[in-house]
Amino acid sequence: METRILQLIAALRASGVRVSLAESAEAFSAVDLMGIQHREHFRLSLRATLIKDVKDIPVFDKLFPLFFGSGQEPQMGGNPTDDMTPEEAQMYAEALRQFTDSLRKRMERLMNGEKLSREELESLAKMVGLNQTDDLRHQEWLAQRMMRAMAFPEVREAMRELMEELQRMGMSRDRIQDIQEKIQQNMQGIEDQIKQFAGERIAENLSEQPPGESVDNLMNRPFQSLSDADKKILQREVRRLAAALKTRIALRQKRAKSGQLDPKATIRANLKHDGIPMQLHFRDKTRKPKIVVICDISTSMRFCSELMLSFLFALQGQVSKTHAFAFIDHLEYISDEFNGSNPDEAITSVLWRMPSGHYNTDLGWSLNNFNEEYMSTLNGRTTLIVVGDGRNNFNDPRIDLFSLMSRRAARTIWLNPEPPHLWQGDSDMPKYAQLCNNVLKVSNLRELNAAVDSLLST
Amino acid sequence: MKNPFESTGKVKTALSEQSYIASDEISTIVYLAQKLGKPLLTEGPAGVGKTELAKAIAGATGRELIRLQCYEGLDESKALYEWEYSKQLLYTQLLRDKLNDTLGKASSLSEAADKLAAEEDVFFSNRFLLQRPLLKAILCDEPTVLLIDEIDRADAEFEAFLLEVLSDFQVSVPELGTLTARHKPFVVLTSNNTRELSEALKRRCLYLFIDYPTIQEELAVVRLKVPDLNPKLAQQAVEFVQRLRNADMRKSPSISETLDWANALVALNAKNLDKATLEETLSVLVKHEADLQKARKQLINPTGRGKSDEYGRFSGN
Repeated sequence: METRILQLIAALRASGVRVSLAESAEAFSAVDLMGIQHREHFRLSLRATLIKDVKDIPVFDKLFPLFFGSGQEPQMGGNPTDDMTPEEAQMYAEALRQFTDSLRKRMERLMNGEKLSREELESLAKMVGLNQTDDLRHQEWLAQRMMRAMAFPEVREAMRELMEELQRMGMSRDRIQDIQEKIQQNMQGIEDQIKQFAGERIAENLSEQPPGESVDNLMNRPFQSLSDADKKILQREVRRLAAALKTRIALRQKRAKSGQLDPKATIRANLKHDGIPMQLHFRDKTRKPKIVVICDISTSMRFCSELMLSFLFALQGQVSKTHAFAFIDHLEYISDEFNGSNPDEAITSVLWRMPSGHYNTDLGWSLNNFNEEYMSTLNGRTTLIVVGDGRNNFNDPRIDLFSLMSRRAARTIWLNPEPPHLWQGDSDMPKYAQLCNNVLKVSNLRELNAAVDSLLST
Repeated sequence: MKNPFESTGKVKTALSEQSYIASDEISTIVYLAQKLGKPLLTEGPAGVGKTELAKAIAGATGRELIRLQCYEGLDESKALYEWEYSKQLLYTQLLRDKLNDTLGKASSLSEAADKLAAEEDVFFSNRFLLQRPLLKAILCDEPTVLLIDEIDRADAEFEAFLLEVLSDFQVSVPELGTLTARHKPFVVLTSNNTRELSEALKRRCLYLFIDYPTIQEELAVVRLKVPDLNPKLAQQAVEFVQRLRNADMRKSPSISETLDWANALVALNAKNLDKATLEETLSVLVKHEADLQKARKQLINPTGRGKSDEYGRFSGN
């Protein structure tokens, strides 16, 4: 049982759920406490200790039955020949005889209501390559292949003929109905068994999977060449980054003591003067950081826009006064979407709302939108961050507006996936760059990390 | 005190005596949290009874409920403790004579300082400590239930500060040292999931997700809390609410809104859910103008084929 639980935890980790050592120890003490007799209690004690996020509950619900069974055995209808009268059995055997030998064997295997043995399952697994699979999404597909290997479709077809044959031979309608139901249930039972087996095997493979590539390697990989699973790991890293960004912005913005009088501190400090306020104390003014981010999600940026958006999402979770905008040919306010708690949904909804067209990026016009509607979000406390490649398709770059914005904001920072020597062609980057406090090249997560560091240490 | 939470079944009955209908899931996890002595983090949409759960636990165990409502900008001095400066000052003034007595006999300045230092503890003692909810829960002589409500509204810094309290049930006051809980409080945290909580906090808690109830559960709650509503109408009302939740709303009606609505129906002495009653009372259930119009269009005045009979189900005819 213990190894089974450990396997479940490993499989959860391999599916991207974060389970710490403390939590797995906790799971064991919960199971000790609740016992394993009551299946539902057992499931809940594992879930409450291992899963700490609504998003991960479906993953758990999928994996749990694969390691601990679904709680019910596949139902078999029983052998249809069991309760037949000798004449009927005779008829049945007669009717079966019309099929070729090999098909008849397979039919009998599927119809006689016996479960598949472990060996049969293993050999099927070998046939379809189940042992090399560690992706649960393939469960259904592999189960289908195993069923095809057992000639399920042919047998289904043949069964219809068999029934017709029996009818022609004069077996009663009720009897035929009965046989048919039994056979169908038998086949269903075997189907369930195969599906369960496929799921279990994949889940086991999943738990044996070596731990994914370390974050370090992933951080050096350019955004273009990341798989979905890598992105999930990186999103976590991005969240950490955003938290760091926030504290450092706050530290830097801690200003001189120019705030209000702090009566408590003043009274305490002046107790020594018999309560006569000779020394005044003021509140430290910790300024909350304010950030305005404008993010390019056009085709040329698509490869990294998802990660950049998840960075924005994490940033917004950390810094409550974040205004996020996305643009392609015009600007849209996306902070509303980012107020939920599911980054994937928020990002998909933004990307869906703003489908990328063909060569239609227009930063100039987007800046104009910003100027008309959202200029009030910029003030002397705001850090303006632009994420984009500055490729404007030869539209008017509206340098005038950008300079206005950068003058209003406390700092202007540009994050660009392209290095300076590529700023050619339709890139207006050289013009924008002059107006920014910093322009940083960000094409992988390490550089994003370094960018955040250098932003805040200078 | 006798502990009523001896098994999951008893948790369930004890909670239902507090008019809280707990599913198996809730009662099992509550039992587990109490046995393991771990804080319980409950998440779920607004109004599904997360706060009620804490109240019911407090009621069932006969413990005092100490509630800390979180908000942006909540800090230690509001959540943990504060020195009562004015009281300290007042005492110094009033005790001046006594102080003079004590210090008067001193022959030198340093001796006087030493004497004063010896009395220092008087001014930094529990007497002058203004207890805020967290400290109160820790210092309380009786075991308590500590409810930290809507933790997602507090800043991330405050969350970090909570870690010490949640894992060791102790707090550090620089002047007094570390104060450890006499009785471990039963801690319930609630979150509306508006932002992601830190891994460190989640790791210390057991996790319970409370979703909108099923039709039977909700009906049971309505029966229990609004016994005056006739059963047939209650059934219709709950079905209607469940349908509203399936429609894509900006703010889905919660259980508390269902209960408000049920009360409204009783107050209006409604006999069945006809169109006029629905029109009149819908605003109790649906709070957004856009949602209201959508509900009217889709559920009350459906146009087009196939919809009219659906309406018929709710007209009570």
